[in-house]
Amino acid sequence: MPFTILPPAPAIPFNHPHHYAASDNDSLSSADEMDIDTTTARPTKRARLSRSLVTPGETVTSDPQWMRGHGTYIPSDSTSIVSTVAGTVLKTNKLLSITPLRARYTPEIGDLVIGRIAEVQSRRWRVDISAPLLGALPLSAINLPGGILRKRTAVDELNMRAFFSEGDLLVAEVQSVFADGSASLHTRSLKYGKLRNGYFMAVSGLQFGYRARGGEVDVVLGVNGFIWIARHVEQAKDVAVTRLEESVSLSIYSSQNDEIGPQTRREIARVAGCIRALVEAGARVDEDMVVRAYEASLELDFETEGREDAGGEFLGGEKGKRIVEMALGSATS
Amino acid sequence: MPLDTSTYSLALLRLDGRRWNELRRIHAQISTQAAADGSSYLEMGNTKVICTVTGPAEGRRTAQGAGQECRVEVEISVAGFSGVERKRRGRADKRTQEMQHTLTTAFSSILFTHLYPHSTIILTLHVLSQDGSLLAACLNAATLALIDAGIPMSDYLCACTAGSTANEDTDEPLLDLNGLEEQELPFLTAGVLGDSDKVAVLMLETRVRVERVEGMLAVAVDGCKRVRGILDAVVRAHGRRMVEEGV
Repeated sequence: MPFTILPPAPAIPFNHPHHYAASDNDSLSSADEMDIDTTTARPTKRARLSRSLVTPGETVTSDPQWMRGHGTYIPSDSTSIVSTVAGTVLKTNKLLSITPLRARYTPEIGDLVIGRIAEVQSRRWRVDISAPLLGALPLSAINLPGGILRKRTAVDELNMRAFFSEGDLLVAEVQSVFADGSASLHTRSLKYGKLRNGYFMAVSGLQFGYRARGGEVDVVLGVNGFIWIARHVEQAKDVAVTRLEESVSLSIYSSQNDEIGPQTRREIARVAGCIRALVEAGARVDEDMVVRAYEASLELDFETEGREDAGGEFLGGEKGKRIVEMALGSATS
Repeated sequence: MPLDTSTYSLALLRLDGRRWNELRRIHAQISTQAAADGSSYLEMGNTKVICTVTGPAEGRRTAQGAGQECRVEVEISVAGFSGVERKRRGRADKRTQEMQHTLTTAFSSILFTHLYPHSTIILTLHVLSQDGSLLAACLNAATLALIDAGIPMSDYLCACTAGSTANEDTDEPLLDLNGLEEQELPFLTAGVLGDSDKVAVLMLETRVRVERVEGMLAVAVDGCKRVRGILDAVVRAHGRRMVEEGV
C-alpha cells in the first residue's frame, strides 16, 4: 500500500454552497429599484469587486423579470436563471450575465489584437489570436506595398508568403466577427502590420488593448492577451491618404531584425519583467499598471543601486512583489 | 510504525479507520499552471491527478468535417510510478482508453459545446498516484480544470465510488473505496450533476448482486453531493482571491 507520510495541508473549511446562493438571491430580488450599471460594457477587474461571485449550476435568480445573458442558461424544467461559469454577476438594465473569472479571448469588432500566422491559404492567412477559432486575414485587408490604391493582382496572390509567412507576428484590428465566432482581421493602417525588433509574451485575458509609445520602447497590449515589446520606431508623420503609398514601402514586410543596442534590449527586458511580475501577483495588466510598474522598478533600482541586495536585473521573486506593491500603491494614492 | 488496526472491525471501522459513509480527504487546487487555459490538481486520499485544459481552440480537421459543436478530446497518462508496482501503461492500454471515452462522453453532454462550433477542447490528465477511485478523481479534476478555463457547463460533474461488503450478515454499502478495498469488494463509480439526482456517469465493472446496487448507488449519489460542496468551496475561495487581488 503506497503510504506516504506528509504533513497534511490545512483542510479546506467546508462551506455549504447554499449559504452564498441565498444571500446572492436576496441581493438580486431586493433590487426592485433597478440599479442601472453606468460602467462600460467591459468591466475591469476593479469594477468586479462589488459584484457577487457565482459558480456553475448555481441559481442566480428565479425572478422572471430578468433576461439571461452570457454565462447563464435556463434549464428546460424551470424558469430560473442558472449560472454556467464561475464568475461575477453583471447586471445591465434587465440583462443578467456572468463575467467568467478567466476565459479564452472572444473577438469583438474593433479589438486591437496581436496574432501569429498559422496558415497561408489562397487569398487569405489564418492567424492564431488565441480565440476559439483562428482569425482570417484576407489578402484584400492588408496594405500592399506600392500604396493602398494599387489593384490586387494575381502576382500578389502568388507572393503571399512575401508579406506574411507562417510564424510571423502581426498587430491587427478585428474588422468583423462571423456567426461561428471567428474573426476577420485587417491591417489597413500604418498603425498595424508586421512586427519585428521586439519581444513577444502572452498573458491570459487583458481587458483593453493599448498601444503605448515612449522613450526607447513601444509596448502593444493586445486585447487577446498577447503583448509585444519592441524597439521604438519613429512613426511617419500623419500622411494624407492619397500620399500613403509613399510611406508604405516593401520594408514594412521585412522579416529581418535591425541591430538593437544593449541599452534598448535591457529596457525591453525590464518592461517584460514588470509585466511578468504583475501577472504573477494576479494584478491587472493595462497601460496604466505597466507604466507604474516600470517606474517602480526604476525607483527600486535607484534606491538599491550599488548595494549588495540589488538583485541584478531579475524582476521576479521578492523584487517583483515589491514592484507590484509600489505600483498598486501609487495607483490608489 | 504500523497503525494498530486490531479494534477496527469491532468498531465497524474500515482498513484506514473511516466509517462506512466517510469520504477520504479531498484536497484540490485550481489554476496551478499559468500557461494552460485551465488547470487543476486533485487529491482524493492517496489518488493524485493533475489536469490541464487546452482550448477551445481550432483543432485538427477531421475527415468528416467538424460539426456545429466543439469536440472534447481526453488524454490520460498514468505515470509508471503511480501504482504499487512499477508498470508502464501505454497509450493503447484498454483501461485507459475506456476512461478517456467515459470522460469524453460525459463532458460532451455537460459542456455547452454548441457555443464553440468547429473547435476542440483537449483535456490532459496525468495520474501521479493511484489508490482507488481513479475514474472519480479524473472526473473531479477535469471538472475543476474546465471551470478554471471558463468553459460554460450546465453544472459541476462530481464523482465518487461506492462498494458493498460481500458477506451475508452485514450488507453495508461503503463510500469512497481506497485501492485495497477496490481489489476486494464490488464497487461502482457514479458521477452526478451538481446538487440534482441526475446521474451522468455510472460505471460498474465487478459482479454484484442486483439488490445491492440500489443501496450502493444511493450512497454514491450522496457522496457526490458532498464532493460537490468541497469542490465548490475550492472554486469560491479561488474566485474570491482573484476578485480581491485584481485591485
